[in-house]
Amino acid sequence: MFLAPDGDEIEITNAAADFMANAMPIERLHAADSADMNAALRQSVAEMGWFALTLPEADGGSGLGPVEHALFFREVGRMSGPIDVLTQCLAAMVADDPQLRAALLAGERAVALAVPSGSETRLLGARDAGCALEVTQTGARLVSIAGAQTVERPALAPACSMRLLPHLPDAVLATATGAHVWQMGELGTAAMLLGIAEAALDLIVEYAKIRETFGRKIGAYQAVRHPCADMALRAETARCQLWYAAAALAEGREDAGTHLDAAKHLCNQAALMNTDADIQLHGGIGVTDEHNAHLLLKQAMLLGKLFGGKRALLGQLLTAQVQD
Amino acid sequence: MDLKYSDADREFRARARAWLAVNVPTAPRPAHGPASAQFDRDWQRKMYEHGWAGVAWPKEFGGLGLSGLQQVIWYEELGRARAPHYINTTYIALMHAGPTLIARGTQSQKSFHLQRILSGESLWCQGFSEPNAGSDLAALKTRGRVEDDVIVVNGSKMWTTDAMHADYQELLIRTDPGSERHKGLTWLICDMKLPGIDIKPIRTMLQDEHVNMVFYDEVRIPKANVVGEINGGWSTALSTLSFERGLGFIGDQLELYERVNRVIDLAGKTRLESGKLAIEDDGIAQKLASLKADALAIRAMTLAHITESDRTGQPGPQGSLMKLIVTATHKSLSETVGDIIGWDFLEFNGDRAAHPWTYDYLWSWVFTISGGTSEIQREITADRLLGLPRAR
Ligand SMILES: Cc1cc2nc3c(=O)[nH]c(=O)nc-3n(C[C@H](O)[C@H](O)[C@H](O)COP(=O)(O)OP(=O)(O)OC[C@H]3O[C@@H](n4cnc5c(N)ncnc54)[C@H](O)[C@@H]3O)c2cc1C
Repeated sequence: MFLAPDGDEIEITNAAADFMANAMPIERLHAADSADMNAALRQSVAEMGWFALTLPEADGGSGLGPVEHALFFREVGRMSGPIDVLTQCLAAMVADDPQLRAALLAGERAVALAVPSGSETRLLGARDAGCALEVTQTGARLVSIAGAQTVERPALAPACSMRLLPHLPDAVLATATGAHVWQMGELGTAAMLLGIAEAALDLIVEYAKIRETFGRKIGAYQAVRHPCADMALRAETARCQLWYAAAALAEGREDAGTHLDAAKHLCNQAALMNTDADIQLHGGIGVTDEHNAHLLLKQAMLLGKLFGGKRALLGQLLTAQVQD
Repeated sequence: MDLKYSDADREFRARARAWLAVNVPTAPRPAHGPASAQFDRDWQRKMYEHGWAGVAWPKEFGGLGLSGLQQVIWYEELGRARAPHYINTTYIALMHAGPTLIARGTQSQKSFHLQRILSGESLWCQGFSEPNAGSDLAALKTRGRVEDDVIVVNGSKMWTTDAMHADYQELLIRTDPGSERHKGLTWLICDMKLPGIDIKPIRTMLQDEHVNMVFYDEVRIPKANVVGEINGGWSTALSTLSFERGLGFIGDQLELYERVNRVIDLAGKTRLESGKLAIEDDGIAQKLASLKADALAIRAMTLAHITESDRTGQPGPQGSLMKLIVTATHKSLSETVGDIIGWDFLEFNGDRAAHPWTYDYLWSWVFTISGGTSEIQREITADRLLGLPRAR
């Protein structure tokens, strides 16, 4: 039993952090049209093998598991990486045709995430996508959306475009049954939210050490210190539960889904509350467009709705049980 | 990262569960007075005699010499078996006096005290806080005059839990008359039967008298009872506090999940004034589910921290975070019970067995104040974990 990154896991974390800092630094989102991955970016993620991290080696993957998946997406979250990265990974899990899978792993075909939105379908990310992935708790399907009429919607979160589609076409490219794809989606979003919660804490701790008011660093005021301590607590709680859930999934434990629901709920909460506190404790600079604080908040708001929002997660948790 | 228990862990759990199933006392623990302390001693003695005391204490001091993880398993099984609550009159001896002696005591202190602690023969209390030194412990004023081979103590301590039952005390005093703050302090083993000690109970909002003022009038304590150095007591006290914060709430950390489930059951049986079941109320259901997530995370945190310290050999700096979340979750669960049981929550006569939920609610302030308040835990977190500029 050990519940923190260890050995190779630390190397993966470092490699992911380096890659994200170069390929998708959060600052990119201050430029216009920075949503989603473009073709070149998708290709560079593919070249590093990130889309194939958890696919079996026989399918062209690295054969790693949920733990590495979580470690990677935590780093994606820190940089407010687009949802496309996750969608692409999940789509490769669904594709059983080797050619289709290879095209997805190579980043040659882009995939948008399809989620229900009232009576319509909302497409998230990958504006240039020719297909869309729809995931439920019991299965997933990849459909072609080539030629479908979509309506672009103004997206609150700069990292992710949004479009509406009256209904998802029936042109099915691949399907999967079972909970696996959903769970990897839930784990990936939870991990990105953890990364956001941690990034928000880092931002304010750094600022509290340099900003002065009334002749003192703001980090010396308890009205700043104590909310920071609470942010650290929320991050620690969410992180420990996320590691537990990732390991439970990796080991195929029966109660993994419940631990994952708890982790997603805690990560939702930590990201939303930490990004909120981060803006407040920065003062005026925190509401400016040029600051990163709002980018983290907006991404947290988006990810908090995907693969389990508050109401659904709590409903499931109420009756769920876990093992020793 | 992995959640695997070794064969030894699993075997230990199975043996613990089987033993507890037939050995947990069936009679309720008396709530107050000498009978309560006798009950605790008897239960501790029974565990000791059957080889269950001091799971993670080194073997040379009478412990089982097992890992922190196995200690977690033991506390989980105690909770599951509904064994007598671990926070009782043996608590200070087992949770911090013993570990402090193991870390800092002399050979003769260890050989005299440790086995007595494990067997329930000696109970301890903690004499750190004073009327004017609580959060600011280093402001303490109780004095010790060093003479030949004794230290003569004068002054008063406050909030000393279970002083009237204790055989010994962790006593922190000022031995260097000109000293200030953290310097010039000494950590002493005080025999509570020495002449010159007077104990006056303080009645609390829980209608009990567990905490006390303790007065010292020319109390002569042998120098051989100094733990650590004379005038170097602050460092010994920090080790005591690290044990108190590191493992002090382990039972609650692991038990919270079971307690949340009990409240969910209760909500499924209890009708609100509107006539609907409490569990059908959205606000209550969401609150309970969210507490369940917190309880799971607290357990994950416990396992994360313990397995890390099994490797490094020392507790990490996260003890303050743990105390914050455990005490907050405990309080929030009690408040939710209040929303569920309505008027019954307002009935109380001081008897924990008869009014467990109200008792726990009132106790939640003991939890967030004693052992360092929540505000102080936030301060420690800001200083040591986040490295923010100091407020003090
Ligand atoms: C039931 C009970 C049992 C106890 N048992 C024992 C025992 O067995 N042995 C023992 O030695 N002690 C014991 N204590 C004492 C306990 O450790 C102290 O009560 C506690 O540390 C707080 O100290 P205080 O009561 O003097 O409050 P104060 O220190 O006066 O604090 C008052 C308020 O100010 C806040 N505050 C103080 N300083 C700061 C700061 N720097 N920043 C922000 N806020 C601050 C506190 O959080 C608190 O809310 C017990 C206390 C209780 C209530």
